[in-house]
Amino acid sequence: MKRRRSRAWLLVVPFYFYTIVFVILPLAYMVLLSFLQRAEIWGVTKEVTWDNYKNILEPIYLHTFAESLKLALICTALIALLGYPFGYFMAKLSKKWKSRVMILLMIPFWTSALIRMYGWIIIFRSNGLLDRLFMAIHLTEKPLRLLYTYPAVVVGMVYALLPFMILSVYSSVEKMDWSLVDAARDLGASPVYTFFTVTLKLTMPGFLSGIVLTFIPSMGLFFVADILGGNKIVLVGNLIQEQLMKARNWPFAAALSVVLMILTSLMLLLYRKVAGVKELEGLF
Amino acid sequence: MEVEFRVKNLKKGKQGVWFLAAVFMVFGLTGCGEKQEESSFAGDLEEKVISEEQGEKIGGELNLFTWDGMFPQEVLSEFEEEYGVRIHYANFDYDEDMLAKLETAKGGEYDVVIADDYIIELAIQEGLVQKLDKEKILNLENVDQAFLGQFYDPADEYSVPYGAGIPLIVYDPELVGIEITGYEDLWNPVLEDNLALIGNYRVINGMVLKTMGKSFNETDLEVLEEAGEKLKELAPNVRLISDSNTQDYLISGEAAAGFLYTSQVTLALSARPDLKVVYPKEGLGFGIMAMFMPSQAPHEEAGKAFIDFILRPEVSARCFEYIGYVCTNREAVPYLSEEMQKNLALPKEAADGEFIMEVGSAANEVHERIWTEFKAELD
Repeated sequence: MKRRRSRAWLLVVPFYFYTIVFVILPLAYMVLLSFLQRAEIWGVTKEVTWDNYKNILEPIYLHTFAESLKLALICTALIALLGYPFGYFMAKLSKKWKSRVMILLMIPFWTSALIRMYGWIIIFRSNGLLDRLFMAIHLTEKPLRLLYTYPAVVVGMVYALLPFMILSVYSSVEKMDWSLVDAARDLGASPVYTFFTVTLKLTMPGFLSGIVLTFIPSMGLFFVADILGGNKIVLVGNLIQEQLMKARNWPFAAALSVVLMILTSLMLLLYRKVAGVKELEGLF
Repeated sequence: MEVEFRVKNLKKGKQGVWFLAAVFMVFGLTGCGEKQEESSFAGDLEEKVISEEQGEKIGGELNLFTWDGMFPQEVLSEFEEEYGVRIHYANFDYDEDMLAKLETAKGGEYDVVIADDYIIELAIQEGLVQKLDKEKILNLENVDQAFLGQFYDPADEYSVPYGAGIPLIVYDPELVGIEITGYEDLWNPVLEDNLALIGNYRVINGMVLKTMGKSFNETDLEVLEEAGEKLKELAPNVRLISDSNTQDYLISGEAAAGFLYTSQVTLALSARPDLKVVYPKEGLGFGIMAMFMPSQAPHEEAGKAFIDFILRPEVSARCFEYIGYVCTNREAVPYLSEEMQKNLALPKEAADGEFIMEVGSAANEVHERIWTEFKAELD
């Protein structure tokens, strides 16, 4: 009996191994890297410095962070407006339709997000699908230049992240206790008043987790800005990618990543405080 | 130049897949009779070798080390047949990776390497490169003088150019109302929202420096800041920035003018011969990739024979048509197809070229920042 108990810890070894090797070590490596200096030709030198973090304080790099936050806010607001009603009504569908809609939501995930972005190029480009449609119904005369614009990037982001909001809200509405809504209605509250005082409050955790799940990735989805924005919009994600792959300034890229991670961690902390729960709702 | 190679690699990679598929099919079909096939193949081979005058059979192996997709497969096969040498083709993605591997191997392991100019300079300094045997590699004299005596190998003792990359302006005369003759014209308001640029900041920033009468390799930080301000003024004209397949935007008409890598220029002109190429009057930016033999190359004879073989005018022409780089082999030009001659041969009247070299970390940091500032102006 004793012997068996003493070996129980073996069960968690794979978990610790995985966490240490694939999460903690790379993180530690990145933090360490962010304090080193770029070598003249290749790699880094062993000198420890704060310069990479000081460099982030340059106005242009702060501007990049501000720009990313702005885009993330715009996208998250749009996603919330579209995703909440979608998730809400989806949860009220019959069982059969629920699973059908769910499958429709999941199918795009079978294709890489990158490929789906290329699909939007076909829609947006000059004389593309949208242009031809507009011209056919005489809305416009000339091809609009939709591709490589800010709105194109917003559409791509919203498209890529909308399912996360829908699923979070859906799971929240799904397990809501509808008798509370009935009670409010019985007590004379109008449907709108009931929605704002009862339904919205009860589904708040799902809604907030949807916001976190869309806000955080939209700061880092650099390929959307690349593909649909023609590389004209610089987000933190683009900056990191460029520093890593082109400038080959690994320490600066690492410092940017660390700051981005701190920012997103703050978002998660804020979520916990506001929603009063520990886990993100919807996907777990 | 690195990025350009990667772009090209994607393309060639695909061809590679088809080639593999073809190979598998052939083996699949002839699997049972494999032994006989092999022996008759060897017979063919010997006959061919005897019939070739130059062909002296060396045998053994050759370790080739360069980016993916640098040679048409048939050129490699021909060399293998003619000299009875088996080629092992090893790839790297970045010049720096190549140097690191060569350092580890202490100049051994590889017989022929092709890499970019600036890294060859370092390799030579580190004593990892052997002098070329001019007695054995007779075709060295086919190389165009214009590309010789460069900074990385001033006396041409160690390396021989394999191709030159020169970013150029391409435009659609139908869509652009003006005649473009230099970089300065890209600032013209008629190009509003119509310019496609490659994403290499040293090249783009360097182009701005050229319009100011400065060098691509300017190190004066104040001049660089000035260039940054001027670059921002280009923002309204920029339609998009892309490193991969930038020529497509010109071909489809999404952009009216572009500043492209050489191989992209070649692709654009093959698809749309009506496009115009401009060798900017302010001066060209240059990159050369060159062949060299590491100091401890294990198969020296085969390495020399390979370089000599590649420099044969007719073989060289096929390589250039395949990689789409500016032709550095004077004797190969007549062997290029008429269309390719137009695209790949450097015109006599072209302005002087300047190498894009390392400028040190202080200047590099400013380059990176003004590039990011420029991109922030774009949206």
